[in-house]
Amino acid sequence: MRRVRLVSILAAVVVAAACGSTGGGGTPANSYSGKTIKLGAVLSITGAGGVYGPQSRDGMNLAVDEINKAGGVNGAQIHLDVKDDASLQSQSAQVAQTMIQSDQDLALLGPTLSNSAVAVHPLAESLKTPILAVSTTGIHIVPDCNFPKTDPCKFVFRDSLGEETAIPDNIKSYAADAHPATGVLLVAQDDKFSSDGGKIVQATVATYNINLLKVIKFNKAEADLSPYVTQAVAAKPDVIFITSLGGIPAKIMIEARKQGWAGQFLGGNGFNTATVSKNAGAAGQGARSASAWYLGNSFPSNADFVNAFKTAYGHDPDQFAAQGYAGIKIIADAAKRANLTFSDLPGDREKLRAAMETVNIQTPLGPFQFTSTHDVKQTVWIIKMDGNGGFTLVHQIS
Amino acid sequence: MDFLIQLFTDPIAFWSSHTLLISQIGINSILASSLFVVLYSGQLSLAAPGFMAIGAYASVLMDIYWHLPLALAFAAATALAGIVGVVVGLPVLRLRGVFLAIATIGFIEALSLGVILNVPITGEGLGLKNPDADPVSGIYIVLVSTAVIVFLLWRLTKGRLGYAWSAIRQDELAALSQGIDVPRYKLIAFVISAIVAGYAGAAEAHLFFILDPNEYGVPRTVQVLTFAVLGGSGTVLGPVVGALFLTIFPFIFQQAGDYIGVVSGIVLILVIIFRPQGILGRGGFAFVRPRWWPRPPVSAPSTG
Amino acid sequence: MGQQILNAIFIGSIYALFAVGYTLVFGVLDILNLAHSAVFTLAAAVAYTLVVNHGQSFWVACALGIVIAALMGLVIEYLCLRPLRRRRAPPIAALISTIGLALIIVAAIEQGRPGTLFSWLWVDGANPVTMPPGTFPNPTWNVAGLTLEGAKLAVIPISIVLMLILGYVMRFTQVGRGLRAVAENPRAARLMGIDVDRMISLTLVISSALGGLAGILFGVALGDISPYIGRDSVEVRGLAVIVLGGMGSIPGAVLGGYVLGAIEVLAVVLLGSNVRAGVAFAALFLMLVLRPQGLFGAQLRERL
Repeated sequence: MRRVRLVSILAAVVVAAACGSTGGGGTPANSYSGKTIKLGAVLSITGAGGVYGPQSRDGMNLAVDEINKAGGVNGAQIHLDVKDDASLQSQSAQVAQTMIQSDQDLALLGPTLSNSAVAVHPLAESLKTPILAVSTTGIHIVPDCNFPKTDPCKFVFRDSLGEETAIPDNIKSYAADAHPATGVLLVAQDDKFSSDGGKIVQATVATYNINLLKVIKFNKAEADLSPYVTQAVAAKPDVIFITSLGGIPAKIMIEARKQGWAGQFLGGNGFNTATVSKNAGAAGQGARSASAWYLGNSFPSNADFVNAFKTAYGHDPDQFAAQGYAGIKIIADAAKRANLTFSDLPGDREKLRAAMETVNIQTPLGPFQFTSTHDVKQTVWIIKMDGNGGFTLVHQIS
Repeated sequence: MDFLIQLFTDPIAFWSSHTLLISQIGINSILASSLFVVLYSGQLSLAAPGFMAIGAYASVLMDIYWHLPLALAFAAATALAGIVGVVVGLPVLRLRGVFLAIATIGFIEALSLGVILNVPITGEGLGLKNPDADPVSGIYIVLVSTAVIVFLLWRLTKGRLGYAWSAIRQDELAALSQGIDVPRYKLIAFVISAIVAGYAGAAEAHLFFILDPNEYGVPRTVQVLTFAVLGGSGTVLGPVVGALFLTIFPFIFQQAGDYIGVVSGIVLILVIIFRPQGILGRGGFAFVRPRWWPRPPVSAPSTG
Repeated sequence: MGQQILNAIFIGSIYALFAVGYTLVFGVLDILNLAHSAVFTLAAAVAYTLVVNHGQSFWVACALGIVIAALMGLVIEYLCLRPLRRRRAPPIAALISTIGLALIIVAAIEQGRPGTLFSWLWVDGANPVTMPPGTFPNPTWNVAGLTLEGAKLAVIPISIVLMLILGYVMRFTQVGRGLRAVAENPRAARLMGIDVDRMISLTLVISSALGGLAGILFGVALGDISPYIGRDSVEVRGLAVIVLGGMGSIPGAVLGGYVLGAIEVLAVVLLGSNVRAGVAFAALFLMLVLRPQGLFGAQLRERL
C-alpha cells in the first residue's frame, strides 16, 4: 500500500513537473520553479446555483491567468480545474473526493451552494485538505463545519460574507432610513441558504421593531409563486424579505409589483448578481441587500480587477466573481509562503492550511485576513438594484 | 480515459482514490435490485426512493438521539421501511402498470414534500446532519452488503417465490387460475423491495455527512428505473449492470466535459434501441454468449 | 381570495394544456412520453432566443416556437418510439428513450452560453430569464382589489378554445376517428386501411405543439424561462393531472388540470403554504387507490 502510494506520488510529481516546464518555462530559482500547484474548484455551473457558479469560475480563471503570466507563485504555475456539481449535494461530494484523492489537488475552492457545502466541507476536513468557500453564506459553514459537533474544522476557510453579518446589517440600515413597521418573509424551505437566511431575518426583525406579520414557506422548485405572493401582498407589509436564490427573487418581485404592492424588498446574498437584478428589471428597482463587494469600491486592487475582468469577459464582474478572484489570490499568497515540497502532498496540504491562517493581502474585497474562526471580517456594502441589471451603493459599513 | 487507464494500470490507487464513487455504485446496485424485485413480480412500483428516505432518516435519527450501535440502527431502520412497505403496499396491490407507477410517485412526493419537509425532527428543508458519517471506510459495508443482497435475491428468484413472481409477471390471470395466491406474492415482493431500498438508504446516509430531502424525489426514481430497464430487468444482474454502467458513465466520458448530459442522452437512446430488453436482456448474458451456446427456452413477453 | 381563484384558474389552464398532450399520446400509444416536459421547455427557450438574440418579433417567435415543438413531436416518433415499435420492445423501453431525449434537450439548453456549441439556441446557461417587457402587449388592470394581467388572462381563452377544437377534431372529423380507432386497436385500424404510423406521427405532432404552446404561455406569463421549467413545474404534476382526469381521456385531462390548480391554491390558502405540493401528491395517491378510473370515469384498462 505504502509503496503504491509512493509510486503514484512520484508519478504525480513527474507529470506535474512536465506540465510545469511546458507551461511556464522560466529560470529555476528555487524549489517552486517549474512546478505546478494543482487546485480544484467545485462549482454549480448548472442547476439552481448556475446563476452564481459561472461568475465565480470567471473570477478564478482571471486570477489564475494573472498570476501565471506574472511568473506564477515563486515560479510555480497554478493549474485550476473547475468541475460542475449540477447544484446537487451528492455530486458535489463525489467531485470533491475525486479532486482530493484522484487528481491530488493541493487545495479546493467551493462549493457554490451552502446546501452542497454541508456535504463537501466535512469530507475535505476528514481528508485533511484545505478548502476555501468562495460563495457560501449559510450558518455553520465555518468554523463548525461538522455541526452539531462543535470542534472547529481546521481545513475549512471562507472568503464570503456570512448572512449572519449581512442580513442584520441590511435590516439595520433600512430600519434607520425608513422605520418600517411590518414585514412578511418569503422563504424556500427546502434550501439551506434560503432557510438559514429566513432564520436570521426572524431573529433580527424584533431588534428594529419590525412586526413580522407572516412567514410564507414554499418549495424551491414550485411552478408558480403567485399564490404565495398574493398571500404576502394581502398582509400589506412595509417590507417583503426574500432570502431565496436563483430565479426566485426576481419572480417574486415582478409578481408583487404586478399585484400593486409598492413596499420595499430586502434580501440576502441571493440578490447580489447581475442576473437577478436584470431579471427583476424595473420591478426590482430599489431592492436592497448587503454585499461583500461593490463595483465602484475604492480599494487599491479593485479598479485593476474590474478593468481586467471587463477586458477578459466583456461585462462587469459581480460579487461572486470578486470573491472567486480573491479566493485564488488568497491561496496563491498562502502557497507562496508555505514552503511547499511538491513531493509530500499531505505535508504540503498541512503547510498550506497553516499559511492560509496568516494571509494578509489586498483584494478587491478590501484588505484581507481570516478571523480566528477562518471567516472574513470586511466592509459590508448595502446596495440596491438600479432597475437595469446593475446595483447602486446605499451605505458602506466598515 | 484517464479513469479507465488508472483502473487497469493501477487498480489499488484507483480503489483508494475512488472509494466514494465505488460506494455509490454499490448503493445504486442495491437500489436497482430493489426495483428488480417488484419488476420481476410484474409490478411497476417506483416507490424505492421513499423507502430509502425512511431507512436513511430512521437510521441517522436513531444514531443521533439513542446512540444505537450502527448495526442495530441499520436493522431497525430497514425493518421500519418494511413495515411502511406493508402499509403502502396493501392499498396499491390492485393497481397495475402505469397506475401503480404514478400512485407510488404520489407516495414518494407526499412523503418527501409533505412529511419530511414539515417535521422538525428531520431538519426539514435543511436536511439532517450525520456527523458520524464515514465516507472512506463505509465502502466495505456497502460492497459486502451489495454482494449479499444480490446473492439472496438471486436465490429467491430460483425458488418457489421466484417462480410464483415469474408466473404473475407473465400472466396474472393464468397465475391466479393455477392457484397462486397473487395478492400475497405481490405484497411479499413489494415489501422485500421496500426493505432492500430502506437498507440502501441507511447505508447511503452513513457515507455522506448530510441527508438531503431533495435526494428522495422523482429524479431519483427515474434514475433507478433507468438502471433497471437499461441493464435489463429479466435477471437480478441486469439492474446491477445498469447501475454500474450509468454511475461510472460520466467518468468514462470525461472528455465530453460540459456536454456530458447530451452524450448520456444519446447513449441512453442508442442502448435502449439496440438492446430494448436491456443490456443483459431477458436471457441473462445472451449478448456475450456465442451463437452455438444452448439457449434457454423463450418465455412469454412480460407485461412489466 | 378572488386573486387566489384567478391564480388557480391560470395555473390550471397551463396544467390542462400540458396534460392534454401527455394524455393524447398515452391514449393512442399507451406510452408515457417523458420528453413532453422537455418540449415544453424547448419551445419557451426558442421563443425567448428568437426575440432577444435574433431580433424577431414576439408573434413570429411564438409561432416558430410552436412549429419547432411540433417538429420535436416527429423527432420523438422517429428517434425514440418507431425504432422500438419495429423491434417489438416492451412499452417501458419507450420511457427510457424519451427520458434520453429529454436529457439531451435540457442539457443542450443549460450548456448554451456565448461561444459554446449551442449558443444559437440559448445563451443564458442555467439562468432563468424573462421575456423583456415591451416585446409583447401586457396591459394590467387593478380592479376591485384584483390584479388582472393581460398575459395571464389570455392563457385562459387560448387554452379553452384549443381544447374545444381538439375535442371537435377527435369526435367529428375523419382524422379524429382514425386516431380513436388506432387508440382502440391498432391492428384492427390497420386492417381497416388506416395508416397507423401516420396517425401516431400526427398524434405526437399535435401533442408536442400543445406542450410547446403551454411552455411559451407559462414562460411569458410567469416571466420564468429556464432550462428547468418543464422538469420542475409540469413533468410530475402532468402525471397527477392525467391520473385525476382518467388516463387517456382528453376532457378528463382538462378538468384534471383545473382541479390540480385548485387543490394547490386551496392548500396554500387553507393549510399553510408549505404543504402545497405534499397535499397535491397525497390527493393523487388517494385518488388512485380509491378511484383509479379518474374523475371522468374512463374505463380502467391495463396499460404499459
